[in-house]
Amino acid sequence: MSSNIIQIDGLEMVISGRRILKVDSLAVGQGEKVAILGRNGAGKSTLLRCLNGFVKPTAGRIVVNERVVFPLRRERDLRPVRAEVGQVLQGLHLVARLSAMENVLVGGLASMPRLRSWARIFTHEETQRAQAALKAVGMAHLADKRADKLSGGERQKVAIARMLMQQPKLVLADEPTAALDPTAADEVCELLVKASEKATLITVVHNVNLVPLLSHRVIGLKAGEVVLDCASDQLTPAQLNSLYE
Amino acid sequence: MNWMQFKARMKGRLGFFGLVFLYALIVFSCVYSLATAGDLSMGRNPVANFIKTATEFARPSFLDVWLGDPAYKYTSDDGTVLRVEDRQAVEKQWLIQLAFATWTTFKIATLGSLLGAILALPFGVLSAKNIKAPRVVTALSRLVLDTSRSIHTLVFGLVLVGIVGLGPTAGILAIAFHSLGTYGKLFAESIETLDMASIEAVKGVGASPSQTFFWSVWPSVLPQWVSSHLYLWEYNIRDSTILGIIGAGGLGLLISEAVALFQWGRLSSILIVVVLMVTAFDAISRRIRTALL
Repeated sequence: MSSNIIQIDGLEMVISGRRILKVDSLAVGQGEKVAILGRNGAGKSTLLRCLNGFVKPTAGRIVVNERVVFPLRRERDLRPVRAEVGQVLQGLHLVARLSAMENVLVGGLASMPRLRSWARIFTHEETQRAQAALKAVGMAHLADKRADKLSGGERQKVAIARMLMQQPKLVLADEPTAALDPTAADEVCELLVKASEKATLITVVHNVNLVPLLSHRVIGLKAGEVVLDCASDQLTPAQLNSLYE
Repeated sequence: MNWMQFKARMKGRLGFFGLVFLYALIVFSCVYSLATAGDLSMGRNPVANFIKTATEFARPSFLDVWLGDPAYKYTSDDGTVLRVEDRQAVEKQWLIQLAFATWTTFKIATLGSLLGAILALPFGVLSAKNIKAPRVVTALSRLVLDTSRSIHTLVFGLVLVGIVGLGPTAGILAIAFHSLGTYGKLFAESIETLDMASIEAVKGVGASPSQTFFWSVWPSVLPQWVSSHLYLWEYNIRDSTILGIIGAGGLGLLISEAVALFQWGRLSSILIVVVLMVTAFDAISRRIRTALL
């Protein structure tokens, strides 16, 4: 069994003649905590979205948790991959009109019988797990509040609780602290790291101060190419400057 | 600003001015063609006619009977009183008729709207761009919706009276077939403006397409669909009042009677009922819509 949860080879993405991504080879091991850095438009979010099949590259091969994500013949084959990949993205990445509790229960949909999930009938165990997940992120008191009525920080906490419910092997976080105040950002980061203790965590970060908190390894992207790959504690200001210049 | 930017900006502006010019041309040709044919006339005596009609409308039958002369005398040419009619008793009977007709109109609008909404659902879903149904299916669905919208309720009613006979069934079907097109268009638009982030949030956990529909699409579009339904229901209450004219029952029947007998006071009473019914429905549906959205 391979120890890599992500294996990317010869990945290339071209849109309207413009190259967005070009990653010759990239591997991420089980349980690694990785931060992806780079300027706006460097291809960070695109790379992340390629990993759970929401964006299709032009060429290459992507394997996540020993399942091929690209190239893939049938869209339905992505479902088992996505069931094992949690995502915490920026903005309202919840179902706006559902309550916090229902959004957390979404995390368990892949393992629920369809008919029961359509009717929103949950077992005692599922409800308890969802309640425990909300409690773990300090949101139990807002369980019945609609997602679009929550603050930015609260929404991210619900997304983390959904991830706890999902129990993924890989967590993709795309600027989870964007538009949050420093206190809320720190809180969300701590919860994210704690919640993905047993999983591999890949975070796209803009605030470099959060890198030590979120990762052991840093991957730097510039114009779609990996130009930096080192341990977080070895990251130098010069490397950072060259990444953002 | 370089030449390319200037060209791009001018192209956009020229396009807009072109559209404005085209619209002005259409309006001008409409007015010109009517004016040259002499069809923009206001009649021989519009002001006097307006005052006469307004005066008759200002005396709704139910008020006129109770506040005016309670008896109507039928006299012969030599002045002999042949019969004295108790206007209040006659009006009471007519008001009972009016109440039943209002109830029939309400029933036609309610059942027609519901049937239209149910029939529109598959066409609305299939014609939404982001559902990505096969092109032929999308095109056919849109064709059904466009056809339904372009045929007036009254025309549907005329045809259906010939098929299912006189009565409310023809009215219900006419309302359903016409509003199907509008429902379908509104349903499709609400799906097209869906928040894709919420769909990805559910898809992203490995949910099946059906689970994604019930957990993301359905909760997002349901309030808009209910709102559209309330709006069209109200619209159909108004629309179904004229269906009686072609024999579908309800208030339209009383309207055509009143018009045929030049009973403008009665027509005024009917219109007051229609306005009250629509206003009350609008007030209730607005509250429901506010609570839902």
